[in-house]
Amino acid sequence: MQNNDSLLQLLVDFFDLCTDTRPEDIAQPAIAAWDSLASVQLVAELQSMYHVDFELEEIETLRSYEQIRNALSKKGVSLDKSPVA
Amino acid sequence: MNVIDHWIRNFPAPVQEAITTALETVSLTRIRRATRLLEGLDMELRGASINVEILSTYNVEPIVPVLSFALSCMPSRPELQLGPLDNIEAHIAQPAAALQGVPDVRVVLWRVEELLPEALFPFSHGFPEEMVARIEQATERVERVVSMHERHMHGVPLFLSTIALPPHFSNPLLAAQHSAGLCAAVGRINQKIFDVATDGGGVHVLDVARWAAVQGNSQSDATLDFLARQPFSAKGQIAFALFLARGLRPLFVARRKVLAIDLDETLWGGVVGEDGVENLKLGHDFPGNVHLRIQRELVELRSRGILLVLLSKNNEADARQAFDSLPDMLLKWDDFAVRKIDWNPKHENLRMAAAELGLGLDSFVFLDDSDYEREQVRQLIPQLVILNQSGDPLQMLRALWETDVFDALAVTAEDRQRPQNYAVRKARQFEGKQGDLGKFLNSLEIEATIEGIGDANLDRIVTMLGKTNQFNLTTQRHSRAQVQAMLERPGSIALALRLRDKFGDQGLVAALLAMPKEGATIVIDSFLVSCRALGRGVEDALWSAMLERAEQQKIKRVEALYVSTLRNGIVADLYDRLGLERVAHDALGTRYFLDPVALKPVPSWIVLHQYSHAK
Repeated sequence: MQNNDSLLQLLVDFFDLCTDTRPEDIAQPAIAAWDSLASVQLVAELQSMYHVDFELEEIETLRSYEQIRNALSKKGVSLDKSPVA
Repeated sequence: MNVIDHWIRNFPAPVQEAITTALETVSLTRIRRATRLLEGLDMELRGASINVEILSTYNVEPIVPVLSFALSCMPSRPELQLGPLDNIEAHIAQPAAALQGVPDVRVVLWRVEELLPEALFPFSHGFPEEMVARIEQATERVERVVSMHERHMHGVPLFLSTIALPPHFSNPLLAAQHSAGLCAAVGRINQKIFDVATDGGGVHVLDVARWAAVQGNSQSDATLDFLARQPFSAKGQIAFALFLARGLRPLFVARRKVLAIDLDETLWGGVVGEDGVENLKLGHDFPGNVHLRIQRELVELRSRGILLVLLSKNNEADARQAFDSLPDMLLKWDDFAVRKIDWNPKHENLRMAAAELGLGLDSFVFLDDSDYEREQVRQLIPQLVILNQSGDPLQMLRALWETDVFDALAVTAEDRQRPQNYAVRKARQFEGKQGDLGKFLNSLEIEATIEGIGDANLDRIVTMLGKTNQFNLTTQRHSRAQVQAMLERPGSIALALRLRDKFGDQGLVAALLAMPKEGATIVIDSFLVSCRALGRGVEDALWSAMLERAEQQKIKRVEALYVSTLRNGIVADLYDRLGLERVAHDALGTRYFLDPVALKPVPSWIVLHQYSHAK
């Protein structure tokens, strides 16, 4: 696991996944706990931890590690640092 | 420092750290991790199981894990049941039997967006005439919810949230200009909520309006509200969950009873022994006005029934002189249930004060400007709550404003009388030292009145069950609903004892609940005496009254249990003294029986009266 990938760390912790989970394995269809309620909480958590606001259209796309990473990158978030505490 | 630090003080250090980290980082992920640790704790540490039903006009389902976390910190083992979204009356209309189970508490969360959405768009809805009518309908809805709850779930505490002004709406200036505008509409609905709570009947208020005002808009998230009708940001969820837990906590956790306070640099600015009375700072100018406000807060606490203890390293004559001569002193010398003004270590004086009051140190809170004194007491008396983290007067005042250690949902007449009762108790102790015990007890002119437990005294009984630690044989913390269910069982015996002596009326001070069992047997479920009535034979009088009722009901055998706790060693041998036979000691406690039932006389110094039933 890339220890300096704060998003990977956050998603692994949020969904209580194995610590060796690879980024490409993190997608909504593959994670049973990623239901609609968890989606709402994940948006709240991402907004809080990275101090960003997602637009409604963007939220629809936040369905995998890759998509979340892209959305955060567009907002200028550097994911190689720990999320803002 | 988090306000809940003292809630979680008995948890293992790693769990405390996980909770603190989750709160400090405002991380829902870390909240989940802390919750898993909490759920893995021993049952004893986790606290009592509580079933909380939440009915809401907005979607709280996503935040259930955060609510569970906060309630687990109380501590408790929460079970949360959610009613159908924005369908409060339909759910409440169902009889208790049709629900998943009778909750220990029901919470109604509503907001203006669903309760009175027209108020956000008044000019589209016939402002002002039609709005007046709609506001009236909304207040009637509040009354309807309460009356339906009373009809179907009588005895279950009902918490109604007040409604906050929405975080976002247009025309805030206009909204405040008319009695049919949004601001007035919110105020009127909230006034109705306060009115129904004032009427009693187990209705309480969760003041979400005040909470939201304090939090500001950072607690809300319009995106999540539109996305899922869940209005809180991550920060808002955590703050709201802790606010909710704090609101419910007084139902399950006893408040602290005593505040021990330092004198110099706390009740006034300066050190009386060094600066002289004339140079102490207390009055209407800074910084004396901060100390004056601290005194105002303390006078108010005392008026609510919190006992004040004065702890000061001083010459008593100096302190007394300041009390007598400072023109702006609000606290009086006799306002303190105990004064310890000498040069002894404060931890020793705290122990002595606790012994004099007959209370455990886990009933105590400590306020002192000295870092040294606070740290010493923290290390030597870990069960004490240290109120302030800094000796700065304003920080001490803030600690008094923000603390939840004295939280209560109501202040009873008995609470308000408590400081006087403890003063009287000290007078009794003084008289007790003057002669032999029997003569002393006779001189008290004690009169006890036995009454059945019913609606008239149920609140007090439930409070006693929740708070009494020392003279309590089983320490069963029954809810109001549970006691009511027990009263309804045919053959149960439920008695309370009211005490009066030459010093005054002590109110209800003892209770006993016994449940029927097959074979003409009753089992003592709860037997408790308030600590302010100890040592006067009250328990013998109540036991005697219970035996008389049992005999009238043709009971042949009484079974009883003593469940040992950290606090109730005082009654470890009570049943032996009352003549019961000790039969076994098992995981639950020590078991006793009395067979056949033999009446016992009431102590000779007590005049006993009987009432049939409290209604």
